[in-house]
Amino acid sequence: MKKIETSLATLKNDLASFYNPAEHHFMVMNAVEMGEKMEVQWFFCDYAHPCETTCFFTLIERGEEVPSIKDIVDSAWVAEAELVDLMNINVENTAKGFVLEPDFESGPLLKKK
Amino acid sequence: MGKQYEIPVGAQHISLLEPLHFRFTTENEKIVKTDANVFYVHRGIEQACCSKFKFRQVSFVVGRVCGLCSISHTTAYSQVAEKLLKIEIPRRAKYLRMLVIELDRIHSHLLCLSHVAENSGFEALFMKTMQYREFSMELLEAVCGNRIQYDFSIVGGVTRDLKPEVADMILKRLDHFMPQLEELIGIYKNNWTLSLKNKGVGRISKEDAMRLNVVGPFARAAGLAVDVRNETEDLLPWKEVGYEMITDTAGDVHARNMVRLREIEVSIRIIRNVIAGLPESDLVTETKAFPEGEATVRLEAPRGELFYYAKGNKTQVLERLKIKAPTFSNVAGMVHAFTNNEYASAPAIIASYDPCLSCTAR
Repeated sequence: MKKIETSLATLKNDLASFYNPAEHHFMVMNAVEMGEKMEVQWFFCDYAHPCETTCFFTLIERGEEVPSIKDIVDSAWVAEAELVDLMNINVENTAKGFVLEPDFESGPLLKKK
Repeated sequence: MGKQYEIPVGAQHISLLEPLHFRFTTENEKIVKTDANVFYVHRGIEQACCSKFKFRQVSFVVGRVCGLCSISHTTAYSQVAEKLLKIEIPRRAKYLRMLVIELDRIHSHLLCLSHVAENSGFEALFMKTMQYREFSMELLEAVCGNRIQYDFSIVGGVTRDLKPEVADMILKRLDHFMPQLEELIGIYKNNWTLSLKNKGVGRISKEDAMRLNVVGPFARAAGLAVDVRNETEDLLPWKEVGYEMITDTAGDVHARNMVRLREIEVSIRIIRNVIAGLPESDLVTETKAFPEGEATVRLEAPRGELFYYAKGNKTQVLERLKIKAPTFSNVAGMVHAFTNNEYASAPAIIASYDPCLSCTAR
């Protein structure tokens, strides 16, 4: 797995210059608790053989807004909606209520509430 | 523009096998917009795996994520844990994992095909396909001890060896199944009534499949050549046992049926080659190490790419486990492919996606 560090400010530019739908596919987003902070990850994989998994990551403060990448990766809304519900990540223009019911308490996967 | 109606389908509906909710906006019986929700069956399995269970027990927990592709989950988790432990499993264990994965693919694909037939109004074909599928369940029971949720892959290898009499039984039952498979291919390919319900229905183009990151038979039926077995061989040597990519171009329900049927033929070839070339070795690599660092694994489950991410901190309990199921990747494509189809075709289209909400919501 190739990990590439990015920042909230440069995320969209970094992904736009990397992502080519004919070469890579977007797999999923993930978040890992790192003490008071969270590491947010975006996973891509090559179509080629042998393939390589690429992970863009950045550290954020809890509650900090993460830019949506829906305008770069059309299918990213599913992964963003999941992260909002399960990890209580604040993703730009993404509402609660896709993986959990809208009135459910967000972030059931968080160790530190 | 005609009057638009919203039609909710699910979470409980006669044509849905899974607790999934679609809200179709229709105009003159045609679907013009679809919304989906998957929020009915979240079970907190990732959280349980990182708090209640030791990392060696987790392979048994993730085997309960899904009844159908349980072997894919246990194998993918075992592989990601083995990466964290930095161990190589015995070659015989790799072959046995491939054997069970392919047996599982046969039974999963036949289940999907039977439901497409049923939701297309072809009840007799549903019964016939389910009847023919039974042999794969019996073989899985003979190999693993269970008809579903087989605790076969564990961290370091597999739990059971393949007895010679079971290997003979598999080969005989496959020989017996081959004419039945040819019969099914003939019906799904040529039956006129079924073609009315399946051809040109639920179509997705290769470009849209690529744009929406679709995976599995759903993608391959549209001509998008994506299959983890073709892209990576470091964990399981697919190509040395006869793996071959199956694709189609039409991207409709009929093409998805045909891809699944032809993939069953490939699975049978792989199973025969695995048995013929089964290496002699131990079944498990023992280690007393604890998982450290982070790793990812991709594995081709019957419905498509399964992805595991794990992070260990040198203790018995994982820091983080993330599971991405194939249906999760296909949600965007599923919503897209309903557009411009008759509402009456929705049940067959849904069945042809082969959605699994147990995996998706976990």
